[in-house]
Amino acid sequence: MTNLDTVGLHDFMQRRKTLFCYSGPLTEELLTTISNPVRHQLTENETPEAIANRVFGVFIEQAQNIIRYSSQKTKAAGDSVGTIAISYIDETFLIEAVNQIDSTQKSALEKTLLELSLKDQKDLRKLYRQRLKDGPPEDSQGAGLGFIEMARRVKRFEFDFNDSNSNPMFVYRGWVE
Amino acid sequence: MRFEKTQRTPLVEMSNSHCLIVGECYPENISEWSQPVFAALEDCVGTQDSFDVDIELYYFNSSSAKFLFDFFEFLDDKADEGVSIVINWRYRAEDDTMQEAGEDFEEDIENCTYNLVEAESADA
Repeated sequence: MTNLDTVGLHDFMQRRKTLFCYSGPLTEELLTTISNPVRHQLTENETPEAIANRVFGVFIEQAQNIIRYSSQKTKAAGDSVGTIAISYIDETFLIEAVNQIDSTQKSALEKTLLELSLKDQKDLRKLYRQRLKDGPPEDSQGAGLGFIEMARRVKRFEFDFNDSNSNPMFVYRGWVE
Repeated sequence: MRFEKTQRTPLVEMSNSHCLIVGECYPENISEWSQPVFAALEDCVGTQDSFDVDIELYYFNSSSAKFLFDFFEFLDDKADEGVSIVINWRYRAEDDTMQEAGEDFEEDIENCTYNLVEAESADA
């Protein structure tokens, strides 16, 4: 037979304590549908509502980033492809997203995230309000607030660019507790 | 005027004297959802001497934050023109995210009466 290793997939997800994972083309319509099981999983864990809301908020921003900025598109509909997951490890939620980006986007994204990682909550709040007043930057398809919003909701975050091929894979991880 | 609640958009009720917004706000397409709401607001505010706003959101995404900012800015301008406007920002006890959001918006409001109101817990 083949080595599809379905049991291995199950074991892997269980071992890394992943409650929810989606990998494939992502659209706003699909996000509406998958929001329900995500909410359900968060409730199942008897998570305090304030924390569940933060996890959900980071999840939505990450999903919308994939929809807007993934450079990997399906042939048929041109939908954005990416992977998004929520795990619960040692009483901390990990929300992860990965998608391909255009290599020309990398340096600007890296700069933005580096700057955000150096700011404390007070500065993030200030920056968020300033961005609301100023409106979105030119290269943004949203309000330009997504990464600031996530930085405000997480305990910490990290990002990475996997450069093994010509199109970098952008990785974002946020921890909520 | 009434905009029914959906999974990703709140209930909005608008009359010449009152606006109520309750629910979650992360629309599939923010401008598609917000344009008719904003148009209704423009039609209603100022037809009478006073206007009351009650907002109780449980979650909104970053795209909707811009809508809320513009919404409050419009109300504050109307209040500057002489309409007596009261805004009640309601948040559930222990929902520090929505409490903070309410405080953030409050800082840019100069002419409206703005109240942060701790609401009763979840109505499920």
